[in-house]
Amino acid sequence: MNPSIDAPVVEEIPLLSLRGVRAAYGNIDVLHGVDLDVPKGTVVALLGPNGAGKSTTLKVACGLMAAKAGKVLVAGRDVTGVRAEELARRGLVTIPEGKGVFPNLTVRENLIVATYGGQKLADIEEVAYGRFPRLKERRQQVAGTMSGGEQQMLAMARGLASNPAILLLDELSMGLAPLVVEELYGVVAQIAQSGISILVIEQFARTVLGVADIAAIMLNGRVRAIGSPDEIEEELSSAYLGG
Amino acid sequence: MNEQPDRVAEFTAEIESMKLKAGGAEGEKRLLLLGVLAVGAGIVLAVIGGVQVVNAETLMDQQAYLATGAFLGIALMVAGAALFVRYSLARYLRFWMVRLVFESRANADRIVDAIERASGPR
Repeated sequence: MNPSIDAPVVEEIPLLSLRGVRAAYGNIDVLHGVDLDVPKGTVVALLGPNGAGKSTTLKVACGLMAAKAGKVLVAGRDVTGVRAEELARRGLVTIPEGKGVFPNLTVRENLIVATYGGQKLADIEEVAYGRFPRLKERRQQVAGTMSGGEQQMLAMARGLASNPAILLLDELSMGLAPLVVEELYGVVAQIAQSGISILVIEQFARTVLGVADIAAIMLNGRVRAIGSPDEIEEELSSAYLGG
Repeated sequence: MNEQPDRVAEFTAEIESMKLKAGGAEGEKRLLLLGVLAVGAGIVLAVIGGVQVVNAETLMDQQAYLATGAFLGIALMVAGAALFVRYSLARYLRFWMVRLVFESRANADRIVDAIERASGPR
């Protein structure tokens, strides 16, 4: 993104930054120097085909996986190697792929689990049911018996209940019908309106580009392009098809 | 693009006040190596202590060699082995979990693909 020549350039520290991050599973290198910024109050979409290293990037960003080299900066501070729960407790919240809910607990019990962070159940329920009224109707239902979209809503509700400053969303659309994905991204847009910085990882780009402020394409463990959603949309097909 | 100044300021302050331990990414590897070195040093100490105890002429000398050599060596071996098991197991389990995640993702992709093929062209 090129800053306008006339506008004064204000260097604001991004809420989340990755600098030259390298990561590996055993001896297999997956990330080969990832640089990415999530500025305050923006939605950043990280796109790329399967195996590009998107989820690994997210795992390193939230502290679930140790970087082999490089730095993870949160609010300008080097937090490389800090544990995920330490960061989550302070407001860097991850919603993992594959609907991170307890399938054998009810909706309400899943929300009770979220009180582990110290919040009151009443506050958590207020946020969850306020954002997702459908969860209130299903609060006594076992989470595993709900639709994929509703489970994803529950996962998001639990994440939001912990009052995040940065939200990391991994493959929100995975295994869901396009209409449900559209509905979920509508909620993501609302969350973004409230000022929470969001990093979204997605394989399927169309819906997420509608809510993103910045988009990036990742290929073979590197960020290959970064820009406005319109710019990135033009490059997507060649990136995915290797053209 | 909206701001949420209070929450962002609070978050920034909390991150700023975090007590971070030095090191970072390679901490586990170092502790694993430390475990191996401690086991090695422990074995050497225990052997030296044992030999000294055998060659000691008085009970007082034997006790001194036992305390400084053999027991210290054994303690180092136990502590080193515990470190080694803790950190090698953590690496192994993490790799195993990643494998599980990968397989479950591949499985989900296959199911979605099968459902899409079964439902035909939209």
